[in-house]
Amino acid sequence: MTTATRDIILPAEWRDFWALCKPRVMSLVVFTALCGLLAAPGNIHPVIGFTAILCLALGAGACGALNQYFEADIDAKMARTARRPLPAGRMDRAAALNFGIGLAAFSVGIMGVAVNWLSAGLLAFSIFFYAIVYTIWLKPNTPQNIVIGGAAGAFPPVIGWAAVTGDVTLMPVLLFAIIFLWTPPHFWALALFMKTDYGAAGIPMLPNVKGQRVTRNQIFGYTFPMAATAILPFALAETGWVYGIAAIVLNVVFLALAYRVWKNEATDAAAMKPEKQLFAFSILYLFLLFAIFAFDRMVMS
Amino acid sequence: MTPNEPSAYTVEETAIIRKRQAARSRVMGVALVGLCILFFLITVVKVGVWG
Repeated sequence: MTTATRDIILPAEWRDFWALCKPRVMSLVVFTALCGLLAAPGNIHPVIGFTAILCLALGAGACGALNQYFEADIDAKMARTARRPLPAGRMDRAAALNFGIGLAAFSVGIMGVAVNWLSAGLLAFSIFFYAIVYTIWLKPNTPQNIVIGGAAGAFPPVIGWAAVTGDVTLMPVLLFAIIFLWTPPHFWALALFMKTDYGAAGIPMLPNVKGQRVTRNQIFGYTFPMAATAILPFALAETGWVYGIAAIVLNVVFLALAYRVWKNEATDAAAMKPEKQLFAFSILYLFLLFAIFAFDRMVMS
Repeated sequence: MTPNEPSAYTVEETAIIRKRQAARSRVMGVALVGLCILFFLITVVKVGVWG
């Protein structure tokens, strides 16, 4: 529901509900989950596989809706998020809450009945972790918010894997660890050139609390365990050479860009080209790494 | 007069409301038909008709 110029309440457009789901985040969740599902050993019926991915997408949408419900006031203070349905006044907060809870319950229920209850349990926990632990507790209270909160975004490939096998072994844990360790350099690169935005909203992102030097040190520092973890599936002979070479090349480029961020002393966002390049490449990195991982595992099997 | 009473709306606002309601109904209809098909397929797979 929307408040117009007078005290008139208009129904929200369906596009606003779609925007509430954060479709771009949803696409990354679907992609990494699909890679986990395709890379898992064993077979899954295409209908059940599609259902698992659909439930994951709906679960991600629930996370987006609940996140925007809890953060409507914060979103209104940031230029990047001020045009979202709630801060822009195009939707009533209760509608967003009901939509988020409904999507969460529906996605977990269908996942449990149609796929398996391990996947459903993991999905339920990841929604709870993102919407409650990260959004309400971590994000407004600690500069380590995205380090711990990164776990929420690392669950999709594990859930995709569990949908096929019904268990969680070392490989899905490694996939989880790759995204978990990728999250800090990815988000802190963004936080460096969006520092003013986060500062205005009162969110204790690392650059605002500890400064840009510490943030750049941490970005560079996290890149090493991330690269080591990304190469581990190949080192453990769980993948072939295609993934091995791709992982080495991608991580060398990531390390080179992180090194440029580490060396950069700029304080003005306009002079943060290395940070912007690292942020852009980090998205491409994850897409390529997981796509090649799934391809390699499918070829191997 | 509360904002939700029909008489609170102008002709233009009523037209916008009807347009949005129709669009939401169409999207909901498509989603429901899609779910019906999906639930049918899941049932068929679960009962083992396709092995």
